[in-house]
Amino acid sequence: MTDYTAFRQEVRDFLDANLTRELIRAGQLTTSVFSDFDAGLAWQKNLHAQGWAAPDWPKEYGGTGWDINERYIFQEECKLANAPAPVMMGIQMLGPMLMHYGTEEQKAYYLPRMLSGEDVWAQGYSEPGAGSDLASLKTTAIRDGDHYTVDGTKIWTSMAHHANRIFCLVKTNKEVKPQAGISFLLIDLDTPGITIDEIVSLDGHVEQCQVFFEGVKVPASHLVGEENDGWSVAKYLLEFERGGHNFTIDLKKQLAKLRKQAGSVKSRHGQPKLQDPVFRHRLAEAEIEAMALEQTELRIKGSVSAGGNPGALSSLVKCVGTELGQRFNELSIDAVGQAAIPFHPSSLDPRYDGPTPAPDYALTSMAEYINNRAATIYGGTAEIQRTIIAKQILKL
Amino acid sequence: MHQDKWADMTEEQQMLRDASERYLRDNYDFNQRRDGFRAGNYMSQSHWDAMAEMGWMAMPFCEAAGGLGFGMQECATVAEQFGRFLVVEPVLDSVVIAGTLLSYPGVMTPNALVESMAVGEALVIVAHEEQDAAPSITNTQTVLIETSDGFQLQGAKRFAAGGGSATHFIVTAMLGEQFAYVLIARDAQGLQVDSYQTYDGRSGANLDMDMVLPADALIASGPLAEQAFEQARARAMLMASAESVGAMQAALDATVEYTKQRVQFGQTLSSFQALQHRMSDMLIQLELTRSLVASACRAHDEGAEDAQRLTLAAKVKAATAARRVTQEAIQLHGGIATTDEYSVGHHFKRVTALESWIVSREEALESFIAVVDAA
Repeated sequence: MTDYTAFRQEVRDFLDANLTRELIRAGQLTTSVFSDFDAGLAWQKNLHAQGWAAPDWPKEYGGTGWDINERYIFQEECKLANAPAPVMMGIQMLGPMLMHYGTEEQKAYYLPRMLSGEDVWAQGYSEPGAGSDLASLKTTAIRDGDHYTVDGTKIWTSMAHHANRIFCLVKTNKEVKPQAGISFLLIDLDTPGITIDEIVSLDGHVEQCQVFFEGVKVPASHLVGEENDGWSVAKYLLEFERGGHNFTIDLKKQLAKLRKQAGSVKSRHGQPKLQDPVFRHRLAEAEIEAMALEQTELRIKGSVSAGGNPGALSSLVKCVGTELGQRFNELSIDAVGQAAIPFHPSSLDPRYDGPTPAPDYALTSMAEYINNRAATIYGGTAEIQRTIIAKQILKL
Repeated sequence: MHQDKWADMTEEQQMLRDASERYLRDNYDFNQRRDGFRAGNYMSQSHWDAMAEMGWMAMPFCEAAGGLGFGMQECATVAEQFGRFLVVEPVLDSVVIAGTLLSYPGVMTPNALVESMAVGEALVIVAHEEQDAAPSITNTQTVLIETSDGFQLQGAKRFAAGGGSATHFIVTAMLGEQFAYVLIARDAQGLQVDSYQTYDGRSGANLDMDMVLPADALIASGPLAEQAFEQARARAMLMASAESVGAMQAALDATVEYTKQRVQFGQTLSSFQALQHRMSDMLIQLELTRSLVASACRAHDEGAEDAQRLTLAAKVKAATAARRVTQEAIQLHGGIATTDEYSVGHHFKRVTALESWIVSREEALESFIAVVDAA
């Protein structure tokens, strides 16, 4: 067994030295997958200076070359220290895909710019009519000499209003069955013919966008992989979206926060809510479920270390991880009660320093509860994950 | 549809329901509501005035005070429509909840105030909850100190729902060992009101008080105040539950409609049996809740022996079911329902606020246990 004590200490020392109060505040006030954009970008630049911007990449591309245990430790320490989350669609999803399918030119140009934060990528997969049924997408790219002309629209393009580039699935052949006519294209968002509409989420913030393409000329050299082979590229990429996440770390952090919240509120009998039997039992039951998930994630990690492929088990983890996260959100709402209800966007701005209608421990409860409803929708809905389990594991 | 089949409404209740449904369907536009919220409004004064015009503010008050003398069954039919159409005006907060505290037999309320509430001129909000504490009677730290010619009121109140537009507040406090409540005008000296918008499209207020009050500010104290407060809490549970029923109905209707339109994998979502079963479960939860809420309102109006048990059960059931049904509505819609542009997410946010409004689900559950164990 390798001893990771020294590695963990190194990560902690780095976090101690580099996480400023403002960055920590941004981490604490994170209510979705994304932190405050500026704070996330500033943190990414810190990580880049240390050579840690891409924990999952091999060294030859500027990654850390860490093994799976080191990556886990790094994720865990960052989360528990309240580091903000940079926009990672480039590093987490596009990067590994380019390493696999990209040309040497594409790799040499795009990968370093992802690491430095110079490029911020959005993901252009879903369309208004193509959600779970992604292959029914309608955005077209027609080849015309040395470029493609792109027409159509992409929706749920997270952080596109901050991004300068987008990777897209487009239809390059309408004559064949849907999956066979899809290609993977890299598009600069400042190309003429592109408009970006911001979508206000239920919590009142903007994270999602809809991107419209009208006669957008994209150089043919921006194609990734073979023309009409985009579906296999996309499937490769979706595995990174589903498999790369460690839910146990998130749940541990949620649990710690929940204990603090329930410890801060006095129940009707005068003792803290955390000691209230009705609440305490529900919390304990959820905690036990999280332990079962942790052990499952460790089992999978062990098999991946030994060279195995988690396959459809990552669907199991995604279902349980997201649904448990939502259960913890409910407990948080139950713990703080009406203190969750004030809508005061400034309270969630890491730069804001004024009075807030609700106490500090309750500031994020409602936005987290609302935003996390999307966790069972994005990256393959809970229903799609269960279909994958039924088909691939149960062979139904 | 379902309402007609399941409920045995009186003619009066039926008329009230039809009238409120008609007004809200024709006039209470979802996009207008959203634009109002984005503009920073706490409510719409024109809707408020129209609702007063239709007599909704007069519902629970007795006829002698210019009211209609309605019970909770009638109020619940309107509350249900409020839930369906996402009404943000704090009508029930003022006329049913504050109204109960001001018109409970034996309390000392200036007649003129109730009359102006009944026509929509005064908007009275109860401020009871305090920082870091569940909103039970036992967690009252605000104090009322008797002086030679009145009282001194000191303390702080938090999260008074609807407080952004209040003209008056009813503030609960301890008068020595006794529970009591006083009436104060929003602009009274020594009262600081911090208003804010809320996630359910409404408003709230935090109150900080260090003020001198005249003797007639005291509305009730001691056992009378406790009984009135318990009555108001019971009615808050009934109104929250009825409004949740309406919200569930709207969320289910929208989900059924949407899944019939939305095509994925070459077929409508509604044709997938796994999703049909989920919607059937939503309906089951809705109808179970509707039955319990209706019987609780009836028992309350009749002063039946098991009114308390039924009211607590209705509150717990409605909060649990509404959470589940509105979450399912979002899930079955997918991404579209996570946006501010779409209605079911707003129903979800409203029922979340209702869960802990005046009486929390867990407190109701605990009280239910105490009531059935004592029987």
